[in-house]
Amino acid sequence: MTDSLISRRGLMRYGAYGAAAAALGGVAAGWDRLTGADIPGRNDGSLVVATLGPAYGPEAVRTLTEGFRKQHPDIKLRINAVQAVDWSDFFAKILTQIAAGTAPDLVYVATEGVQLFAQRLGVPLDRWVKRDAEELREYFADVHPSLVESMMYEGSLYQLPVEFNAADMYLNNQVLKRAGASFPAPDWTRDDFTALLRDMKKSGGSRFTPYFWTNRLWGGVVPWLFANGTNLLAESKAPGGAWLWDSFYPAADRRGRGGGFRWTTPQATDARVEEAYDYLASLIQEDLCTRPEGGNGQNLVGVFSTGRVGVTPAGGFWAGGLSLAGMKATDYDVQYFPRWRTQRMQFGAAGYALLRTSKKQDEAWEFIKYAARRDTLMRLFRTNQTTPARRSMLGPDRYRETGPDHWQVFYDTLDKFPDTGPIPAPPQVAEVEQVLLKHTGTALASRGAVRPALRRMQGDLEKAMERAV
Amino acid sequence: MTTNTQANTEGNTQVPAARQRPAPPPADNSRPAARTRSTRLLATLFLAPTIVGIVIFTVVPIVGSVVLSLFHWNVIDDPSFAGTANYREVFADSTVLVSFRNTLVFMALAVALQLLIALALALAVNGRMPMWLRSVFRSAFFFPLVLSAASISVVMKYLFNQDFGVVNWLLGLIGIAPVPWLTSENGAMAAVILVYVWQQFGFSFLLFVGGLNNIPKEIHEAASLDGATGLRKHLAVTLPLLSPTLLVASVVGIINALQVFEQPYVLTNGGPGDSTRTVVMVIYETAFEQLRFGPASAVGVLLFVLIMAVTALQFRLSRRFVHYQ
Repeated sequence: MTDSLISRRGLMRYGAYGAAAAALGGVAAGWDRLTGADIPGRNDGSLVVATLGPAYGPEAVRTLTEGFRKQHPDIKLRINAVQAVDWSDFFAKILTQIAAGTAPDLVYVATEGVQLFAQRLGVPLDRWVKRDAEELREYFADVHPSLVESMMYEGSLYQLPVEFNAADMYLNNQVLKRAGASFPAPDWTRDDFTALLRDMKKSGGSRFTPYFWTNRLWGGVVPWLFANGTNLLAESKAPGGAWLWDSFYPAADRRGRGGGFRWTTPQATDARVEEAYDYLASLIQEDLCTRPEGGNGQNLVGVFSTGRVGVTPAGGFWAGGLSLAGMKATDYDVQYFPRWRTQRMQFGAAGYALLRTSKKQDEAWEFIKYAARRDTLMRLFRTNQTTPARRSMLGPDRYRETGPDHWQVFYDTLDKFPDTGPIPAPPQVAEVEQVLLKHTGTALASRGAVRPALRRMQGDLEKAMERAV
Repeated sequence: MTTNTQANTEGNTQVPAARQRPAPPPADNSRPAARTRSTRLLATLFLAPTIVGIVIFTVVPIVGSVVLSLFHWNVIDDPSFAGTANYREVFADSTVLVSFRNTLVFMALAVALQLLIALALALAVNGRMPMWLRSVFRSAFFFPLVLSAASISVVMKYLFNQDFGVVNWLLGLIGIAPVPWLTSENGAMAAVILVYVWQQFGFSFLLFVGGLNNIPKEIHEAASLDGATGLRKHLAVTLPLLSPTLLVASVVGIINALQVFEQPYVLTNGGPGDSTRTVVMVIYETAFEQLRFGPASAVGVLLFVLIMAVTALQFRLSRRFVHYQ
């Protein structure tokens, strides 16, 4: 017998080990999957609401919690403010919680994630909206139908919008004055815009950049695509939704409404898309605007408030940001995005989505209604960190301290331009956004790079859209 | 129990130590087999916490990743068996292939630069210098390592901004035109490498300082007597004697560099195009943004295999180049 052979006793011992391991494995496989919710103390029976951390500071969380407790003392509420740099990062963290078995009951979801959550995770609010129609009549009368439609998917409503931001143009008044230019008219054109940038550049010096923009889905290339009468993906409306429009909106507002947006066939090689990219590439070549940066515009507030940038697209959220950065109400102003072939503008909205996994759906609906109340939003949006979805909340008092002078632009972007629509955000939004950012970077390297990059973008978008989420 | 030396000095006995017999060990009447078994049990008990930790936090996730790479799973629905489909998809995905190329290029350049800078600074700090100044340098070079990579990258993103960054402003003072650090392919990779190396070289630096202190002074003195000076002494004496430390530093450096994520994610988001997209970025984007955990796990398994292969190759080559005293 050599050393390499196992003795009979050894064989029996290893056999026993193997049998024990197999038994353990069998027990483990047969057991229900342990999740984060099984950790003692983790599941305390609260209604859990996940919000975007940076937008909901401790004060906002306290406001939400205390107000809700007064209304519903029987419902235990826990606000989970998730820290994230943008919506994509926020959704990734929420999905991680779902994978860990600690899914919240409600998630604050922006346009970027409305269809993803609606298709895979969300519960339609239709039955509750129909049940509480009388109570909600005042809400819908105060909220533009475009915002509500952006929260619908295939005929059902998944969220009540509480805030939105359209991409309007912010202008630095000191830079305008230095350039000897006057504040643009509401119907200014793309050519007026280019001429203004040239004037600003002449008087701004070498360390000045007239137009700053950030490479992202909201407020990047997309507003230019909308202004040029096109979109990244073919846009249409789903059928349905009449149950809501007929109940809450007058005939004039119902016209053309459907059951939510559909974004389908990629059209990155469409002539108008190429034209929009050519235009941005020409601005870069002329040194009139920044090159697309990866990530977000973290340093934008600083460079705009110090007069190193003249114009940039942003929403109502920037009024609060600029005020915090020390800009006075008279230091800047806001105007609509310039007209090209159209003056259609883009927006993103947000509200609370109810998850299918929630065992407290009725309680969650009470929170959704509470979060959309005017008094709740008045307390929550004191600092102009966003544009409230309720029209009645925008007024001179709100913007007296922070500015801008033309604060009416924020809601008039919806009221005066009824074709203004949401950014293209199908359920495959993560891949669509990634492809857009990636190829926009290479497309704008030079004017000659536009077409090859858009062809690659088209191919990648087609692959992304073919893939089910 | 006292030692022989203690007995000599404390008891004033004049018996030479060599002639003293050591005290016999206490009698152990237990059977050899039982003794061996109890020793094994004791060893197992001591090792158990480490083994349990490794199994839970290393082995199980690795096995889990391998299993997950054979399934379609989107977190929301139940997983379904995919066989090798995820691997076929990954090999056909140009973004994945580019990310592997980027990661290897990054690893080669970043680790080489990191080791060179760390070695040069370790040699400089190990030279003639007051002790307090040496401590200041050691702390200063190590300090970036304790900072969050994401925070550093956010700050660096400001500094490297083409239009408004301090780096280009400083270059402008000496007449250099603005460099598109984060918005051109080569500039972006260079910026990511610089930020990474700035943060990471402190670890290699500390290893080298320790290694240099372990080289006996006599060897340097002997080399000097033989006429070796300056660079020649470092090449012929210091480097060969430092080679075990160099091996450790390069193994750790390569493993870390192959897993780089925070710096490219924050600085460039993988762009422009895919020029700074790394393998771990692809894993993150595929899993947590696109909800495709199967292909993400397949990429993770491939990265694991790559790291193992590179590390094994290093150890194989070390037999030829590493000299132990």
